[in-house]
Amino acid sequence: MLVGALVALAGCGSSSNTTSSTTSTTSSSGKTVDIYSSLPLTGASTAQTIPLVDGIKLALSQAKDKAGPFTVNYTSLNDATAAAGEWDPTQTGADARKAAADPKSVYYIGEFNSGASEISIPILNDAGIPQVSPANTYVGLTTDLPGSAPGEPGKYYPTGKRTYLRIVPIDSIQAAADLIAMKQAGCTRVAVANDKEAYGAGLAKLLELEKGYYGVDIVSNTGIDPKAPNFRSYAATIKGEGADCFEFSGIVSNGGVQITKDVNAALPKAKIFGPDGMCTSTWTDAKDGGVPASIDPLIECTVATQNLSAYPGGKAFLAAYKAKYGVANPDPYAIYGYESMELGLNTIASLGANGDNKADILKALFAIKDRHSVLGTYGFDANGDTTLKSYGLYKVSGGLPVFLKTITPTKTVS
Amino acid sequence: MSTEVTRPDEQADQIGKLIARARSLNVQLGQRLHAIEKRLPRWWRRALTAAVIVGGTVLPLFFSQTSGFLAATLIALAYVVMALGLNVVVGFAGLLDLGYVAFYAIGAYCMAWFGSDFFFKEHIHVLVSGIAAQEIGIHLNFVLILIAAAIICSAMGMLIGLPTLRLRGDYIAIVTLAFGEIITVLAVNGTSIGLGGGQTLTNGAQGISALDEPYFPGLGSFNLLKLRPYYWLIYVIVLLVLFVNLRLRDSRLGRAWIALREDEVAAVSMGIPLVRTKLKAYSIGAAFGGISGVFLGAYYTDVNSDYFQFTFSIFVLAMIIVGGLGSIWGAVVGALLLSYINYYLIPDVINSIPHDFGLNFNLTTLSYGIFGFLLVLVMVLRPQGLVPERRRRLELTGAIAADDSQLVEGQE
Amino acid sequence: MAAVAERPLALLRRYLGRWGLWVALAALPIYFGIHDLTHGYQAGFAHGHEVIRHDLSNLGFNLVEGLSNGAIWALIAIGYTLVYGIIELINFAHGDVFMIGSLTATGLWGTLGLGLATGPVGLIAGLLLTLIVCMAVCGSLNVLIERVGYRPLRNAPKLAPLITAVGFSFILQNVGLLWIGGNPIGVNDLIRENDTVFHISGVIVHRADVLALAVMIPLVIALTWFLNNTRPGKAMRATAQDPEAARLMGINVNSTISLTFMIGGMLAGAAGLVYALYETNVWYFQGFEAGLIAFTAAVMGGIGNVRGAVLGGLLIGCIQEMSDSRLGPQWTEAVVFGYLILVMVLRPRGLLGEETREAG
Repeated sequence: MLVGALVALAGCGSSSNTTSSTTSTTSSSGKTVDIYSSLPLTGASTAQTIPLVDGIKLALSQAKDKAGPFTVNYTSLNDATAAAGEWDPTQTGADARKAAADPKSVYYIGEFNSGASEISIPILNDAGIPQVSPANTYVGLTTDLPGSAPGEPGKYYPTGKRTYLRIVPIDSIQAAADLIAMKQAGCTRVAVANDKEAYGAGLAKLLELEKGYYGVDIVSNTGIDPKAPNFRSYAATIKGEGADCFEFSGIVSNGGVQITKDVNAALPKAKIFGPDGMCTSTWTDAKDGGVPASIDPLIECTVATQNLSAYPGGKAFLAAYKAKYGVANPDPYAIYGYESMELGLNTIASLGANGDNKADILKALFAIKDRHSVLGTYGFDANGDTTLKSYGLYKVSGGLPVFLKTITPTKTVS
Repeated sequence: MSTEVTRPDEQADQIGKLIARARSLNVQLGQRLHAIEKRLPRWWRRALTAAVIVGGTVLPLFFSQTSGFLAATLIALAYVVMALGLNVVVGFAGLLDLGYVAFYAIGAYCMAWFGSDFFFKEHIHVLVSGIAAQEIGIHLNFVLILIAAAIICSAMGMLIGLPTLRLRGDYIAIVTLAFGEIITVLAVNGTSIGLGGGQTLTNGAQGISALDEPYFPGLGSFNLLKLRPYYWLIYVIVLLVLFVNLRLRDSRLGRAWIALREDEVAAVSMGIPLVRTKLKAYSIGAAFGGISGVFLGAYYTDVNSDYFQFTFSIFVLAMIIVGGLGSIWGAVVGALLLSYINYYLIPDVINSIPHDFGLNFNLTTLSYGIFGFLLVLVMVLRPQGLVPERRRRLELTGAIAADDSQLVEGQE
Repeated sequence: MAAVAERPLALLRRYLGRWGLWVALAALPIYFGIHDLTHGYQAGFAHGHEVIRHDLSNLGFNLVEGLSNGAIWALIAIGYTLVYGIIELINFAHGDVFMIGSLTATGLWGTLGLGLATGPVGLIAGLLLTLIVCMAVCGSLNVLIERVGYRPLRNAPKLAPLITAVGFSFILQNVGLLWIGGNPIGVNDLIRENDTVFHISGVIVHRADVLALAVMIPLVIALTWFLNNTRPGKAMRATAQDPEAARLMGINVNSTISLTFMIGGMLAGAAGLVYALYETNVWYFQGFEAGLIAFTAAVMGGIGNVRGAVLGGLLIGCIQEMSDSRLGPQWTEAVVFGYLILVMVLRPRGLLGEETREAG
């Protein structure tokens, strides 16, 4: 009896649900297209995904919710659940299916975690929806370069055609950039720790694969338990190994702050490096729960964004972001989010009346050669990877990462 | 309707009064329902069961192939299988198992090992089609993987149960918890466990992805955008598992479990083989968990060690306790309810409420608290669970004049 | 009864049961100690090659860290063991009460203006005040949870309060999530925890280590005195042994249970403050993890037994440190639980024996 009642209740719920999440008013004369984003909006990653969504919304509001002749309906979906505290496969699949079920959906911004994309890419590929990730850097999603698993990337594209692109350069480039930074900082023996997830472990593996190209000696690559309360034993071990530099390959929420503090306590002079998953104020700013200010001078990190003030578009973005959110130095992920939406809006607008055709959007996206954006000028290759091959090196000033210089690695795995 | 005799040292304070009020309302509701029940014809239970079965079968036809509700329902059904499995161990046999996530993990990894390109040096294909038939790796038919997982999990269940045989009550909890954690650690660190030739045990937190879709000769291969076949698959599995459970409960083994649970010393002196009975409970419960794990692995098309946390064991335990410990239908109701709340109500329905009111507030930050609050609410108001086991209901409601016909399980 | 000659196998089993456990526990440190002395361990890297040392200071470092880490677990484990002893409930929310304690502590530092620049007198006064406030807050929180979630279920099936405990755990985690967000947050290193206090033959003892033990030892002594020498303490022990008999003796069982929860909560609050000072890091999820370890410690030592909880906590701390530094931190959790299973198999009642109503 209860079961039947439940089913009926839930049935009622579903019909109201599909309309409640897309409540943007549509003008009676214009046509609409739906854009979705799927990001972990619950749990530890919110420190990065909330600025990401802010960036998306900024792009949308600047375009006044329009792309060409179409009105854009944007829905921000959450691929995390309370019970998991991070991205959840059920939610990720459900989000992708929601977009797939919607005949007006034309563009999907997601995922944030490389592991989650492994689930949504095949679904969206089946549905033919263009998918752009603002943050995935794991190489196996688009290429079969060393660092990917056997069978990748083909197994993510059941239709055989590519529907996934990303606006950030893949980890083979980021690893090389980190190695160059280490070399220039004078590191001789580097200890690497990773958080064992797809992103962190993948990047760490690439660091090991590419170290020979840049003459950096990586003495150890250890997977740590992100939930451990402290890492003093690990710090003592790498002190024993004679490390003079340390890189944490992972994201901040996986113990990044604590391991940095413990390593600094054991090796007070060691330089500390981090990839873009670390390069945010939650790592560098003590007021934001990051490391104490005394460690800041030792930190360098790489992000795919360059010096924004050097680009006209960049300056405009900074001004608009400050006006809307009151933040002068936006998190790099806000920039990624902004560009991922801008890309979609511009592409749809460029197609005129065909802007609601998914296949045309895909073709247009893959045909992009020289797009001027807040990330620089770039295009996409046949794999869906950006032609940008540079990372920005950031140092810490006033607790926040600030741009130092651009690094463009010449040699990466192939 | 509690058997609490008011003792002199229990002053009724505000909180106590509140809870007593709420419970009396609950009891009144129960009495009303009971009164209605008395007026129904005798075959109402059978009719309801038939209606539910038929309703469940045709349910997907009312929803689109990519409906979010359908997706939530089939996940809920997978959890029903899990709950039924844990119910055998905790509910029937009274062995508090806090490491159930281990069997979910083993089942899911069976799907990953035998249905993907993970074992990249092998080329084994048994009754598969499409991409799966040409890929490297081991690719067995879905049903074969189900059977393999059931066997492996049964064995593991017995292994895990062995050290607990001499322990009492809550110590079983901690040891099973320990085993559950060890298995999850092995899952996470499987990237460092080499099996020779570059092959590792698992892919840890990076996940084994793009698993084969289920394929049935004659019916074709499943597709991720068409959820109805997935639904019917898990629905058939649920019906089979329910059938097995009902037969078990009314069998000698089932009664042996209940006897052990109620009074171990008396049961043993009546000749019930202690070790064998307990091990059978562990292995059967584990097998169900493994089967559900295989299905979930295939549905997610990805097996990532992040999925296997201690929280999962607690989640399934909460399902059977909220539903009514020891009761089969209680396990079903509890699983459906908690799954819906976690995967559908909170993410989709509750989160859209502020939006409907025009607020910009994000209710996802309260999801944990809402879920916890609902758990507390249900347990405090109805501690015996939503659909309590017949035996328990009689105990707790103090129905002294229960006649033997009520104890005959067939009535449920 | 006449002594029966025991068969060799039974004799072996008896000795194994009595001594086997202690041998198993001591095996690892002894093995590592010998390994360090003979093969040496790498203590650094200079002039192009490794520096190998042959002494016990690495092992000593592991043990010191283990004892101080373990002291925190011991404080939390006592809460678990007291509650279990008296109402046979695994209080899953206890770890999260500890987490709230940590968050209260760090929040109070901000309010009191305790920072890196505060002088020693102000610091000590401030920290003592924080300790009192944390203990009060966590004690009251624990009592509240008992009143709302466990007392109404006193006559319910045994597993029902387990689920309310889980529910409260989720609620408290959400409070933590709203309070400081989802990421682990670094907090000020108020006591400069890494400063050396003294050396013992090459082993450095930091301020953090001294702090943890300096807080735990007096509290445990005070608690033991309380349990043995005061009326409410004896009432707690009596209720743990047999609530019905205690009631017949005129003991107010409800208040005694509330008192137990309050004491457990207070110790968790103290542990929370120590944790914040020791790790200089707080996280909304820390209670869940710590709770698991503390519960394991309580069981390992013998549930219901306060000394057992302390022993279990210290032991697990040492196991964790040795595993972290020798086997690798990714295996530590498995090693700890492996040890637990070993103890449970060889000594089902826990290391020091249990003290619950079924045992007594």
